[in-house]
Parts: sequence; C-alpha cells; structure tokens
Amino acid sequence: MLEPDSYEHDLLNRASLDHCVKCTICETQCPVAAVTPKFSGPKYVGPQAERYRHGESVDESLDYCSSCGICTHVCPQGVHIAELNSVARAAMKADHMPLRDQLISRTTFMGMAMTPVAPIANAVLKFKPARVAVEKVVGIHRDAAMPTAHTQTLVGWLRGRTAPVNPHPRGKLIFFHGCAQNYFEVETGVKTIEVLEHLGFEVIVPKQGCCGLPLQSNGIFDTARSWVRKLVAQLREAPRDLPIIACSTSCGGMLKHEANEILGVKDADLLEVGGRTRDICEFLLEMYDNGELDTSDWLENQLTIPYHAPCQLRGQNIGTPAVQLMELVPGVTVIESGAYCCGIAGTYGLKKEKYEIAMKVGKPVFDRIVATNEGVAACDSETCRWQIEQATSVPTVHPIAFIHQAMGLSKVPVRAN
Amino acid sequence: MTDVVVIGSGLAGLVAATKLALGGKSVTLISKGLGGLQLSQGTIDVLGYAPGRVADPIAAAASMPAPHPYSVLSSDAVRAGVTYAAELLGDRLVGDPSHNVLLPTAVGALRPTCLVPPEMAAGIVTGGIQYALVGFRQLKDFYPQLCAANLARQTAPDGGPIYARAISLDLPAVADMADSSALAYARAMDDPSYRQKLASLLKPQLAEHEVVGMPALVGYRDRTAHRHLEELLGHPVFEIPLPPPGVPGMRLNEALVAEAKKAGVRFVSGAKAVGLVAEGDRVVSVGQATAGRIRQYTADAFVYAPGGFESGALTLDSYGTVTDTVFGLPLHGLGQDLITADAPADQALFRVGVGVDKDMRVVDTTGHAPYSNLYAAGGILAGAIRWTEKSGEGIALASAVTAADSILKGA
Repeated sequence: MLEPDSYEHDLLNRASLDHCVKCTICETQCPVAAVTPKFSGPKYVGPQAERYRHGESVDESLDYCSSCGICTHVCPQGVHIAELNSVARAAMKADHMPLRDQLISRTTFMGMAMTPVAPIANAVLKFKPARVAVEKVVGIHRDAAMPTAHTQTLVGWLRGRTAPVNPHPRGKLIFFHGCAQNYFEVETGVKTIEVLEHLGFEVIVPKQGCCGLPLQSNGIFDTARSWVRKLVAQLREAPRDLPIIACSTSCGGMLKHEANEILGVKDADLLEVGGRTRDICEFLLEMYDNGELDTSDWLENQLTIPYHAPCQLRGQNIGTPAVQLMELVPGVTVIESGAYCCGIAGTYGLKKEKYEIAMKVGKPVFDRIVATNEGVAACDSETCRWQIEQATSVPTVHPIAFIHQAMGLSKVPVRAN
Repeated sequence: MTDVVVIGSGLAGLVAATKLALGGKSVTLISKGLGGLQLSQGTIDVLGYAPGRVADPIAAAASMPAPHPYSVLSSDAVRAGVTYAAELLGDRLVGDPSHNVLLPTAVGALRPTCLVPPEMAAGIVTGGIQYALVGFRQLKDFYPQLCAANLARQTAPDGGPIYARAISLDLPAVADMADSSALAYARAMDDPSYRQKLASLLKPQLAEHEVVGMPALVGYRDRTAHRHLEELLGHPVFEIPLPPPGVPGMRLNEALVAEAKKAGVRFVSGAKAVGLVAEGDRVVSVGQATAGRIRQYTADAFVYAPGGFESGALTLDSYGTVTDTVFGLPLHGLGQDLITADAPADQALFRVGVGVDKDMRVVDTTGHAPYSNLYAAGGILAGAIRWTEKSGEGIALASAVTAADSILKGA
C-alpha cells in the first residue's frame, strides 16, 4: 500500500491515464507480450488495471514487464505507460523485495567486489556448478550473461596515464562514465575519452557514483532517488556550463528523463544536468550536422556491421544516431536489428524466471546479427552487448569503437577474427 | 541540418519523406508515436462516397467542390499520388486507381475502396459469389454468423446474388489461450505447421466454388502465408480487416518504413514536435521535445503531416476553440457552428484544418502563405471528412507527393 501523498500515489492516479483511448498500439509492439502469455500486455497491466489498483497491486503479471519502454515510445496519445507500470511494480514489490533484486541492482557494489579479484570472479562466473548454485540460492539464471570484471577500472586508467598535453581548441566537456564503463566496459570508456580528446576537447571526469537506475528498474525507489541526487551533485562539482557526455545509454537516460519521470525527482539541479546530458553518438552526430566534425581523414573500413538500437536509447527520443555516425566511416554499411529489444532490458534477463522469455524476446535480434555479421556487431548499451554476445557468440562493441578506429586511434582493429 | 524535415509518420509523412529522399534530399522525419497507418485497414481508399457510391474515384475527385483538398489538388495529382504509392509498394497492392471495388467488412457491409492488398483481392464482390466466412471461437473481434447474414441479404453491384455462410473453428492462437488477439493469430500463422493445422480443420468443411473469408490474420511477417493457405485449402482466401490496430495496416506500415529507411530517411520518433522558429517568411527550425531538452531541427523546407484530431494535432477546447497544437497555424473552416444536431455524421468541426495552395504550401484564410517553405499534407488538411467519404489515403498520398514534388522542383 502506498502513502497517500507519495509521488507514486500521485502518478498512479494522474490524468495521463485518461489519455488512453485503448487503441492497443502498445500491445501490438510489446516484445514481451509477443512471446509469452505470462505478460498480458502494457495496456492491460497499465492504463486498464490501474483503474482498480488504488495504490495496491491487482495483477502479478505486471512483474513480467521488462521496462523496455516501447509502449510509451509508440503511444500516439502521450500516455506514460512504461512509467506507470514501473511505479506500479515498485508498489507491488515494496514489502517483499527479493534479495536477488537487491543484489543485482547495486552495480557499484558488484564492481567493487569483483575488480580486486577479477580473474577469480570471472572464473567463478564461468564455472557451471557455481552458477547452478547461484541460480538456486539467489535466482540469477545459470546461463544469463554476466559482465567480465577487469583488474583495472576506468578511474584507475585515468590515474595511471599521462594526460595529453595538446591544446584543446574546442574547450572542455564532462564525461559521465557510469558504473559499467568504470568496472566492466573500461575499453568503451577509454575509447570515448580518446575520441573526444582527438577532436580537441579537454575531458573532465569528476568523481561519480551510480545513477541508481538498476535500483529503480527493480522497484527500489527510495535508495535510487538518493543515489541519483548524489550523482547530480557530483556532476555539478565540475563547471556547470559544459555538456555532459554519456556512453551508457541507460545511465544517460536516467539523468535525461527517467529520474524525473519515474522516480519523480523534480529538483532543478537534476533537470539542469539532464538538459546538458548527451549520448556520445548523439553528440558527435550533432557536431557533424552542424559542420563541426571533419571526417575527411577517417580511415576506410570495408565492413557490414549489424547494429541493435537498445530500448534505453529509444527512450531518449534521439533517433538512432549511431547508424548515421558509423556510416560516416568510409566502407561501413550498417544493418539495423529491426527489433525493439534484445531481451535483457537491464537486469530483466538475468532472472531465472525470466531468462527464457528474454531469450525469446531477443531472438529476432540474435538471428539478424548471426545472419549478417562479418565478425563483429555493434550496440550502444553494455547490458545488451553482454546479452547479444552470450546469445550469438559474435563480439559486440559500442559504436564508438568504429569511430576510434576510423580516427586511427586503435592499435588493434575492432574486428578480432 | 538536413534538407527537409518531415513532421509525422503516417501515410503522408512516410511517403513524402521517401519521395524526397529518393529525389536526392537529406530527410529527417520526426514523430510523436508510431504513426496512424497501423490503425488503417491496409487498403488505399481514394474516394468512396461523394455522397453517393463512387465508381471512378479519380474522375469523382475532379468534381469535388471547395474547400475539399481534392478541389485544390488536380485529379492528375490524385492519380500521381496513388500511382506513386502503388509503385513504391510493388506487389503489396493490387487494383486500378480509376476503379473502386467493394469488399466485405467484419459486420458484412460492403465497403468501397480502391487499391487493396493481394490478401484481400479474392473477396471483391461479384454477382453469384459464394462466401464461406470463417471465425474462431477464441477471437472476439469477428463473428462469421453476423457477417454472413448481412452479406447474404445484399446484392452485388452487377445485380447478382451474394451467397454467404458461416464456419466457426475451435482453434486458439496459442495453446490454452481462451481469448486471442488477431495479432496473436497472425504470428501463429507465420508458422507453416499452424497453417497446416488450420487447413486440416477447415478443408473438410468447404464446398466447391466457395471463397474463404477470414479475419485479417493470415500471417504477419511471412508473406508466403496467404498463398500457402490457399494451396492447402484449394480455395481462394481473402482477409477481412478487424477493428484497429489491424494486421494489414501493420504490414503496410512496416513496408513503408522499410522503404523510407532504404531511401536514407533519418527517423527520430517518440517525442512531439513543439513549435517552430522562423526568420522573416522562412521557417528555420522545428523543435522536438526529446528527453531532457527541446532539440531544434534545422532545414531548408518542412513538410507538416501530423494528422488531425485523431492524433491530437488538432484539439477542441471547452470554449469551442480549435487549435493546431504543434505550430498554432491559422485554421480554415472556422466561423460557423462547428457541431450541430442536424446531421450527426456531417459536422463542420471535422472539416477544420490547415489550408494549402496548389503546391501544398500552408496558407491562411486569405490565401497568403505565412512561410515560404512550410508545406502540409494528409489528415491536417482542411475540407474533408475522410471517414465518411473514404478518402483518407487518397488525400494523404496526393498531398504528400505534391508537396514533395514542390520541394524537389524548388517551388
């Protein structure tokens, strides 16, 4: 039961519900409802069931929503279906949050625990009997994709390197790396910084914690709010007139809109930071559109790249800038996955009761990538990359890797085989 | 910047964007939702009633009085628009732009339309036709008994009789599903083994010469499903559109989006356009409310194709004021009683919209163009009640192709 004056309560009862005309476009586009009868669809559990909730839950099938957000994206009436459902799920799970959901939603904790013992942690995660035990005790599916820990974090790399001393004709900007780039996807973070520095920016990396998104998507709202507020304060330690560049689609989206629209954090500081936040591909393509990105010396790369636009990127309503950006590389042809979601949706596909659904959701993505890849695929989101690699065995990288290579910055070509 | 920004991803927006991109322009298409095409029946209506039933929609379009969009567009433009869509969509549409056909609806009425998907063509009514209308006990959107009884009490346009009978199958789309949507059936029908299961139940119940009418669910993405089912049954099969969103509209939408992407159109969907920035008589940019900020899209020319009341581009407030919610453009068709009790289906309100000149440039009520590079197309245009006339797709196509040509010619 929700407190009568809470944000969740207000959102559940808000007028956006009445904008739903029951056209069911969201039902036709929902990737989860398409593959399992366990989820009755976004309209049923959202605008329809909402009328009966009064702050309490009426339908457990709500928990099978993956929060990919495509329902909100396609709604012609502007109903915030995914946001309503996220809030309703938080209310439903408020009194009995599983340990598993508490654990997997604390990325910084996982990163901090795994980094010092990275080889051991990676070995354990690849050791089947250990994963079976984890599945039984914690509820993380034994075959679900898990991140690879590294012995060095991005912050460690920054500390250890000699920063370039070349001039910065384009001025400064702020890099928001997110937990994944710091602990698990260090290379993506490094390449993003090197591309920006190559373009003549000075990259400022303020100390930063977790944005709280995994907590939010698991319904742990209060902690998520305090984490995102802390992050906003940290990002505002840097000069406050600079763009903030993110290369994690989900964490960038948290700052841009989810903290505001789902958690109900309306602080002026958050809105200000959200308005300055840019996805790296969005930022570079906007530079190109403005005539500020010279691609004339980019190296040729004869390559067909299957690309999946993650659901978290669609939620930012910026189109698919990675497609246009990668195709600026001479020789590159991009083939879009043509599907909305790879199934992982953050932490959804890790859960033992949802793993098989997630693999069915992602099947069109996997099939397209397997059929069209020339040794490598691209996707902006780290959790999606882990899912795609796990399902297809095709190495999957952030699109920035191809820009990095085209600029002549990569010692090793992106395509490993 | 891109050369052209198109606002809206319904039929008009998609076709205008594609034609512009194929004509060498760089095009960005911005849209709030998925576009209205999948709410359509998947057919191309050009002009069904004016007000009597129309046989040749191109000829009839030429004599539509002002302020109907067809009175601004020439009948050549209507033909060019419909022909362009037919060529773009290849074998996804059949028919003659100058010749309307009648197709059974889900309640057994006969609806005039022009171009139809090949999956519907066998249902075109002719004297003596023998329909076997097939429903599913688990599908609540189609009652074959109702459809058959209503069809059988009418005659074909050639005066001949219509024979129709109902068949009900007990076959869920997914095992144990008591209440299946048409889309769930269509996805099941993408699997050849499901089609075989269906055929094995249905074939023994069919009589010689019968034409099988089914709700529109004969495959979603497998384009061979319809022909395969016809082969399995040994009878012609046609689809009957159900309440929206419908599978034929979804197929058409996906096909057109694919064509637009192939032509190089850049899509930025999910957020509403929110106003324009002008310098002098030129629109410089259009804003879109993306996450966290309003992003400005600059271009040389703009095509405004957001739909009308149904998409929220037009609204009526409680004071009786109609507003263009995106740009606040001057509207035509005001200054009279917008809603009256006399003729419920024929309300002046529904004819309110944006006015255009023959190039599809937006004009105010005096005929003056406030902006030299802003064009409009589709459901936003004033002067038509598309759902009673059955003219929505024809207006969308004719205006979209005309607007695109104006931009390509530098008009």
